[in-house]
Amino acid sequence: MYRTREQVEEWKRKCPIASLRGRLLNEFGVDEPTLQSIESEIQSLVAESRAFAESSPLPDPSTAAMNVYAPVRKVAPCTRLIEGNDPTRNITFTQATHEALAEEMAVNPRIFVMGEGIGVRGGNFKTTAGLYDLYGPVRLCDTPISERGFVGLAGGAAMTGTRPVVDFMFADFILDSIGEIINQIAKMQYMSSGRLKMPVLLRGCIGIGHSAATHHSGSYYAMYAQVPGLRVVVPSNAYDAKGLMKHALRCDDPVMFLEHREILTIKCHVPTEDYEIEFGHAAIVREGKNVTVVALARMVHLTMSVCEQLEQEGISVEVIDPRTVSPLDTETILQSVAKTGRLLIVDEPPAPCGFASEIAAQIADAGFNDLDAPIRRLTGVFTPTPYSPPLEAVVVPTAVEIANAIRALVKE
Amino acid sequence: MAQEIIIPRLGWSMEEGTFVAWLKSEGDFVKRGDALFELEGEKATQEIEAVDEGVLRIPPTGPKPGSVHKVGAIIGYLVGANDSIPALANPLQQVNIEVVNEADSIVASPSVRQLARKVGVQLSQVKATGPRGRILQEDVHQAKVIFSENAQEPVISNVSIMSSQQVASPRARRLASSLGIDWRRLIGSGAGGRVRECDVKAASTNLPSHITTAGKAQRIPISKKRRLIAQRLVASRQLTVPVTLTTKADATNLVNLRNQFKSTNGTHPIPSFQDIITKLVAEVLKEHLFLAGRWEEDAIVLPGYHEMNIGMAVDTEDGLLVPVIRNVAGLTLRDVAAQSKSLVQQAREGKITAAQMQGGVFTITNLGAFGIDSFTPVINYPEAAILGLGAIRKEPVFLDDGQVVAQLQLELSLTFDHRIVDGAPAARFLQSLVSAIANPSAFLLGA
Repeated sequence: MYRTREQVEEWKRKCPIASLRGRLLNEFGVDEPTLQSIESEIQSLVAESRAFAESSPLPDPSTAAMNVYAPVRKVAPCTRLIEGNDPTRNITFTQATHEALAEEMAVNPRIFVMGEGIGVRGGNFKTTAGLYDLYGPVRLCDTPISERGFVGLAGGAAMTGTRPVVDFMFADFILDSIGEIINQIAKMQYMSSGRLKMPVLLRGCIGIGHSAATHHSGSYYAMYAQVPGLRVVVPSNAYDAKGLMKHALRCDDPVMFLEHREILTIKCHVPTEDYEIEFGHAAIVREGKNVTVVALARMVHLTMSVCEQLEQEGISVEVIDPRTVSPLDTETILQSVAKTGRLLIVDEPPAPCGFASEIAAQIADAGFNDLDAPIRRLTGVFTPTPYSPPLEAVVVPTAVEIANAIRALVKE
Repeated sequence: MAQEIIIPRLGWSMEEGTFVAWLKSEGDFVKRGDALFELEGEKATQEIEAVDEGVLRIPPTGPKPGSVHKVGAIIGYLVGANDSIPALANPLQQVNIEVVNEADSIVASPSVRQLARKVGVQLSQVKATGPRGRILQEDVHQAKVIFSENAQEPVISNVSIMSSQQVASPRARRLASSLGIDWRRLIGSGAGGRVRECDVKAASTNLPSHITTAGKAQRIPISKKRRLIAQRLVASRQLTVPVTLTTKADATNLVNLRNQFKSTNGTHPIPSFQDIITKLVAEVLKEHLFLAGRWEEDAIVLPGYHEMNIGMAVDTEDGLLVPVIRNVAGLTLRDVAAQSKSLVQQAREGKITAAQMQGGVFTITNLGAFGIDSFTPVINYPEAAILGLGAIRKEPVFLDDGQVVAQLQLELSLTFDHRIVDGAPAARFLQSLVSAIANPSAFLLGA
């Protein structure tokens, strides 16, 4: 209907099915009865399937949201730091995720990594350093700059039973493959009624800092959290990052694993023992009485940096890090607000339809009677990220702004 | 012939009653002995029976449910079938301390209500100048100026009239409801006066001074201090013959004078209106000594010029206290201001001694900060008189040439013991005080 009659006729002459049939008969010596028997087998299979579909009852409405995700693998609760046999072992965020990937690749041959410069070069952010020497070019597959192509490839590979890890370096470039992710990878389990699994790990760096400018500073986790079928993980420290990445590499859902570039070198205790952290379990980073602050990634560190000062001023702050945006642990936030009566959400990206908005809405709804003050959001400025350092500095919440927002909220 | 329907006295000490509701409607024929209306006295609500018969006529200015009226106030008429309603000689005077839900009758836009919340002015106390009684933004600003001029000290009010402008957080509402506390009566510490959880908690540990309870009836044990206050008030009522006179003074110069103090004063406390009036009263009392007299068995005792010790009623969390400033006639205004500030602070902190509250010859009490105009102060026995200060308001005044101008006016209420002073000398004292307030500078030179 978009073509002229002449064009349609021309393309019909090029029909690959018709030309395959001709070539099978003329060039490969397949006889007509054989082809006809194949065709009739196909036709009867289609007819049977259609008859089955038409004779089946309509689906139960209660199943409308089934198979969006694979069944949740329950793991031992891991909400507090486990000491491990060497409590002095402190490693960086980058080292922690590297350990998680290396350990899982060692025990699971189905895991392979794709991305730009993740082979011999070991990854722009050292995400795969040394792994090429161990596992070679098939499991550490360097790709051309063609995100849509290799992400589509990862989706297909996952359907065949492998576990692709796509390393985007900068999460901004996930956007170049978003059709494959949202339209195929996120929907495949649902469309196949759970018959196909989609264990794709999509990882990349997010966050503002170091004048990385408009194309290397984005944090689009709120947008990804709007997509049914995706898990969205935004860790704030090495311990959580390792446990969450282990869980991602063992679950059957596509996981968006977003690593804030400005906290990659921050160290904390990570045990050598194996552990994993289930999605949807917030961490209470600091206990307090007067106000609840919810934050992710770098904003957790900024918030923590002002808590002691505020404590001296008589303001006791409870800090909650949800760790995963999808699923979101609102229960822990509700319990905290039931205690404090006040909620501030600090978020680096701009406010509209964001992480902070979602939490504010849910707590206003389920925790209304616990609130002793309006819910406040402190977010980044609604602008693409500027390059110039003085401009960049003012589009992200600062520690001073967080402290002032907490003080103001306590006075509300 | 129209028969007046008046607010009856339900108990010997009853001065005013709260009108609850009409039990008959406008135009009903009422027989003698029919229940006519419900009135709440000091102790209970009572049905009031008609003492005459006739057709009930309620004037448009008639009482509203919940409004408080003095005993003897005319609230309606019983007339013959064909008689018309007489005009009320004086529009029904309501007592000013009323806890009325006035939210419905206030006409103000959301922006004006927001402004009122912001500046801490209650719309029920604002005079409306807009069309059809609408309160305008400038009315709120004007009210703010007058109230702040009047506020001698920050006041903890349990008489404040709250209306729909009061807000509370959901958490505070929940707690208030579980404790049976009416949060609308609380003073919010949050932004824009929002009542927060901490305010409800404070109120719950502070019964009964800050709150009234909603719902359940309660028995609150009478504290020692409350009992003492009650005994003194009862003694005053039983032993004196109180009469109250009210009048208005031109407060223009008083306000100007205080503004001058405000703009020039350095480290010294700025004299409040009450401080200035205390000083004026001491000067005027020299010429009207019987108002500072004391009734004893065989004599009336008059003070010397150096004994013009004037008490000031202070509202504290523990109730009413009356610390005394000594020898006001011998003090400069600056000293009066310093002493009153210190005494109020000590009273509020519960550090005042019994000696500091004795020896007074006259007392001044001030309800102006609450927007009260006139009232009937109770004599601080065994003194002879007490002066009540009302709010300073801008009011229309007729000049001699018939022109109407806006003038700042202060209403004075003087209650005196008729045993010691007759009406005319008391009125002359008040007259002298009115002229002293109208031109205060000359009197302040006296020290």
